[in-house]
Amino acid sequence: MLDYLQFVLTPQIVTGLALGVAVILVALGLTIIFGLLDVINMSHGEFYALGAFIALALGQVGLPFWALLFAVPILMLPIGYLVERGLIQRVFHSKDRHITTLLLTFGFALVLEDALRLVFGPNPYKPETPIRGAVEVLGTYLPLYRLFMVAIGGLVIVGTALIVYRTRLGAMVRAAAFDRNMAASLGVPVERVYAGAFAFGVALAGLAGVLLAPIYSVFPTMGRDFILLAFTVIIVGGMGSIGGAVIAGLFLTQVQAISSLYISPVWADPIVFGIMVIMLVVRPQGLRGGLGHA
Amino acid sequence: MRDAITLQTRAGHWLVALLVLGGLVFAVVGFATGDTFYLRLATEALIFGGLALSVDILLGYTGLLSLGQALYFGLGAYVSALALIAWQSFWAAIGASLAAALVCGLAGGLIANRVRGVYFALITFGMAQVLAKAVYNTRALGASDGLIGVPVLDINLGLFSVSSASPVGFFLFVLAVTVLFYVLAAYLLDTPFGRLLIALKANENRVLFIGYRTSTLRLGSYLVAAVIATLSGALYPMLRGFASPELLFFSTSGNAVITVILGGVGTLVGALYGSVLLTIVKSVVGSWTEHHLIVIGLIFMAVVVLLPKGLMGLVQPALVSVLGRGSRR
Repeated sequence: MLDYLQFVLTPQIVTGLALGVAVILVALGLTIIFGLLDVINMSHGEFYALGAFIALALGQVGLPFWALLFAVPILMLPIGYLVERGLIQRVFHSKDRHITTLLLTFGFALVLEDALRLVFGPNPYKPETPIRGAVEVLGTYLPLYRLFMVAIGGLVIVGTALIVYRTRLGAMVRAAAFDRNMAASLGVPVERVYAGAFAFGVALAGLAGVLLAPIYSVFPTMGRDFILLAFTVIIVGGMGSIGGAVIAGLFLTQVQAISSLYISPVWADPIVFGIMVIMLVVRPQGLRGGLGHA
Repeated sequence: MRDAITLQTRAGHWLVALLVLGGLVFAVVGFATGDTFYLRLATEALIFGGLALSVDILLGYTGLLSLGQALYFGLGAYVSALALIAWQSFWAAIGASLAAALVCGLAGGLIANRVRGVYFALITFGMAQVLAKAVYNTRALGASDGLIGVPVLDINLGLFSVSSASPVGFFLFVLAVTVLFYVLAAYLLDTPFGRLLIALKANENRVLFIGYRTSTLRLGSYLVAAVIATLSGALYPMLRGFASPELLFFSTSGNAVITVILGGVGTLVGALYGSVLLTIVKSVVGSWTEHHLIVIGLIFMAVVVLLPKGLMGLVQPALVSVLGRGSRR
């Protein structure tokens, strides 16, 4: 029993935790963008892939891994800002904003994915793990890189929550999410806040791409599988809720990790999705309220 | 009394007649030149047009964006392939697909219609994705290879029979079936049920206050779309001789959405023209470069921003005004 805990369960939980943190980073971006702009960003998975590819390209130029952790999100910021100002703002005031923006970002996802294939080719790249080795904790060997992912991801998640809930900037974001017109008349530059939030969400997805690149390979369609999990997380957590995304992200990835000990891992996705269906039937609004209401 | 919606529907009928005429000319030319490739491609375009039609019933009339209509298309393809392998009978395949469509459409509709708007889009996306993964990992269904070895069959239509191996014969057959789907959808949307769906799209609360059960209406719309998508999918293995998991993937659902947007949302006929147009764009661009998704993505984004009514938005208003003048006289 103790052996089982030591050699099977604990490593699996840590693996699930590392994945969970990355999923939360992606889901946080999605949920902030939805909570503030009411936009479902269908190209979010491709931004995640873009982050991984930028990391790959910069890594080949010779940038060390720790520098990538800063460089990639910073490079993603202007890209996200321009996409929001150049594309999403164009249809933001149309009648069916939900559907129109969803379609537009879907089209952008097609273009971005094919552009990545054009530049980097369809084959997967496997970057080297930047931090090798494992550490022994109470007789259990845990890979260092996964622990590092949990630490960095955790820091960014806590930092994001602090920015949103404890700073003046965050108050402006929440005010704009609660009532756009009221916030605008109080002097909040709503359009810049929107574009900034979109850029921030996209940068988080890029950071997740950097962190996960050494674990999964890097390939143009890498965003597709990942994005379903991220959507499930924000639906279960409540669209637009940061706390909900964290809880749901940790919970669902643990369900995935632990269930795959007992059944074939390919069935982990249907189980996670089953939870989402039950959640939608029982509590369609998700675990927690949105960005403007917390 | 002809209102705007009736006139628009009439305009749609004329455009479908034009499409049929074009199809007949195409069939004659194809037959005369002994072509197989282009006739097969056009047949595929029509089959995917049926799928797009089902997306338009949901998006254009009921206001529900389905990102997982491939679920039903793939369901039809797999059920039909299994039935064809077992019984070699067209009607058995169609019967089995119809039964599957009703059962799964009801189940999926009850789940998906718990929610609206973007949640609906995401849950349909998720349902299709899960079925695709399940099929992809089931060895009994051929896993990633799909179901192969669907036999060539003779479709017995009472007076005569059509072989699925004949390019011209099967093209004409699929053309007839697709037009039948169009007629069925156009008829249903012209009934009071259809008008209620349009009202639902405009304002669901008001329909509710008038005293209609909007949940039943939405379920009905979902079921009709599911049946049309499934039956379209059932034709696919007859054309290509296999059913592959790709038919269930998001790319199939996404293509159907692109088709409807290109052709024109809420016109029905736009779905059929859109499918033909998309197939032409894909094969033309595909002959220059394998990166046709960039081009299609850019065209799609341009249409979303600049031409919200799609291709039909350019054609239909003129036709409507001609028909309208006729009715006033």
